[in-house]
Amino acid sequence: MIEAVRNGFRAFVGRYGLAVAVYIAAAMFVWVVLLIVLPQIAMIDTSFRGNVPASAVGGPDDGYTLSNYAAFVLGPMGNGNLFDVTILIRTLVAAVAVTLIDIALCYPVAYMLAHSATGVTARLMVLGLIAPFWINEILRAFAFRIIFGSTGLINEVGQATGLMDRPFDFISADVALYSSLAYSYILLMIFPIYNAVEALDKNQIEAARDMGAGTLRVHWRIVLPVAKPGIASGATIVFMLTAGALAAPQILGGPSSLWFTQLVYQWFNDAGNWPRGAAYATILLVTCITFVLLMMKVFRVPIGAIGR
Amino acid sequence: MSASSGPARATAVGYGLLFYLFLFGPLIIMTVTAFNSSSFPRISPWECFTTDWFGVLISDRRLMDGLWTSVTIGIGVVLIAVPFGLAGALALSEITPRLRSALYTVLITPVLIPGVVLGISTIVFWGSVGQLVGSGRAGIFFDGTFLTIAGQVTFVAAYAMLIFMARLQRFDPTLTEAALDLGATPGQAFRKILLPFLRPAIASAAFLTLLASFENYNTTVFTILADSTFTTALASKVRYGIDPSLSALAVIIIALTLIGAITHEAVMRRREALLKGRGVRSGLYASRAGRIAAHPATIFCLLVAIAGITVIRGSQYDSSVCRAEILEERRAVQERLMEEQRQRMRQQRESQPAAAAPSTAPGGSAPRNSSPFGGAFGGGLAPGGATGEPTALPAPTPGSPASNGDGTSETAPSNQSPFGSAFGSGLAPGSAGREDATPGGSPSPDDGAPPASP
Repeated sequence: MIEAVRNGFRAFVGRYGLAVAVYIAAAMFVWVVLLIVLPQIAMIDTSFRGNVPASAVGGPDDGYTLSNYAAFVLGPMGNGNLFDVTILIRTLVAAVAVTLIDIALCYPVAYMLAHSATGVTARLMVLGLIAPFWINEILRAFAFRIIFGSTGLINEVGQATGLMDRPFDFISADVALYSSLAYSYILLMIFPIYNAVEALDKNQIEAARDMGAGTLRVHWRIVLPVAKPGIASGATIVFMLTAGALAAPQILGGPSSLWFTQLVYQWFNDAGNWPRGAAYATILLVTCITFVLLMMKVFRVPIGAIGR
Repeated sequence: MSASSGPARATAVGYGLLFYLFLFGPLIIMTVTAFNSSSFPRISPWECFTTDWFGVLISDRRLMDGLWTSVTIGIGVVLIAVPFGLAGALALSEITPRLRSALYTVLITPVLIPGVVLGISTIVFWGSVGQLVGSGRAGIFFDGTFLTIAGQVTFVAAYAMLIFMARLQRFDPTLTEAALDLGATPGQAFRKILLPFLRPAIASAAFLTLLASFENYNTTVFTILADSTFTTALASKVRYGIDPSLSALAVIIIALTLIGAITHEAVMRRREALLKGRGVRSGLYASRAGRIAAHPATIFCLLVAIAGITVIRGSQYDSSVCRAEILEERRAVQERLMEEQRQRMRQQRESQPAAAAPSTAPGGSAPRNSSPFGGAFGGGLAPGGATGEPTALPAPTPGSPASNGDGTSETAPSNQSPFGSAFGSGLAPGSAGREDATPGGSPSPDDGAPPASP
């Protein structure tokens, strides 16, 4: 490992000079150590500490404890209130649902983009995909509140046309939240699938068709296997971002449904209990990563496929 | 493939259209609501065309202060994240495959882990560093701007790195070899060969990192501490009550995006045409005038000019007359309901003279109408009054209240208001704001009346 780093450094000195090599090494050190690794360690360290006032930090009372994690499992009273665990599970289930919705929405479009659209159409399609994402995340959630609110567009139109006799509460039913999250991450699902599907040789599809395969069969047997790494990559990104979303649940979440990130936020900013907040953040991180790794094992996708 | 068979193609096109409708629907709806005077962002019922929400947006102090904080942070993030991303991409290009995949995993992780986690780990870490070096709460390690830059660079630099990696894949390393063979120092090879090759990537990385920094909420909301950026100010605004000034903001962003996208398309087409040779594209590039007209700079200037004129025209547009009409309309509806209430009460009194207590309650609230915009307050105070479906009730002309009974003295001053009763009756009562329909806002006149306790 050390040897490999040293060799790499030498290669850089030979190729781009000492100054550039030193710069790259320094930047890598700051980025990896100061920005990525140490903060995570500090967070995990904090999560094992009690909530002591700033004056007592480092003092005799500032020891390690499991109380923050115990509080997550056992509830605030320590008697087995599973309120927080339920919220975590619900967040994960919702994130999976949003991911599945996005796969279903984006697969056909990515396929069309790769294999039917050409020239100006393709460029306009890509431009059309990107354009909505210049809009701020907050404004996207806001737009869905206009659409789905109790006096929002759908309720107004539905009542005006007589399709609905009373306003339906889309916010409480989490319809608005799910739509907004699915909408927000479409782009991050389409491009990985597109990259994977684009590599597919059209002749394979033609051949399958000539031999009598229907559209569904062609997709199931020919296109999907090629698209799989792309789908896995997109699904991982969408799942992680959905589970970690904060703005959309804050704006669109119903009164009774909290997102797990909101719990973290509350412990940190409203209750001022940093160790508890850090513990909850660690729980979220570990759970999400474990889940993603588990899914990749189940679907037999190598980890290296992510993010390419 | 699907292109060959008719129905399959129709399905595909139909699906594509639906998909893009889903993509653009929210943007279109936001755009339309920005110009409706209704204080809740909505399309129907349409009240007045107005440009006032842009003014409301610009006079929002917190948002505008946040904008400057965001710009500062954005510049800081770009200045750090782009060189970091470049360093990461270069490092990945030179090292052995094993180390390479390990480093790649470490560097790409911050993109995937929840922003909440990044924000917390950043403030916890730098907070303990601050304690270690003994700087107080006023030190840099407790400064929202510094912490936000640190937190955002962690993952934003990875975006830049991905862009540089994509560009570096197309770099021909023999170019550097050749430069070195011809006597260039390694430093010169870097500056004169590699950096110029990467220039387009540097531009797009800077743009993307600026955008990512500006947009970020999940990390920033923790690291900014007591301060606020544009996005966090926006989020608290949305959480605690929404109004169409947010739609106005969306319109501004959409307009900027459109200008950028059209200019970009012009640049792409020009590049394509130049690559293929000028004559290839039908005559447009053949004449000098055509070349100038199709030049991206011309198109850009034209778009900016259109936008500027629109802004100037829009800022001069005055919707106060229409707004006053709407208020007057509500007031009229309100007044009519009150009048009906009075009449009914009078009938009640006539039918049962025993309950003699003459209703003084309406008199107490009526003088309010003498102010020009009296209807607005009236509508707000008595929720039932402004809500819809009073159509079933008899509709007396509001400006000429039944001139008998106790109604006369109170309602008469209202006719002196600038807009009188001119706009009173011809308007659809059902269109008055439904968001005002707080619980109890049923159309039954009993709810809409002023407190009529005997």
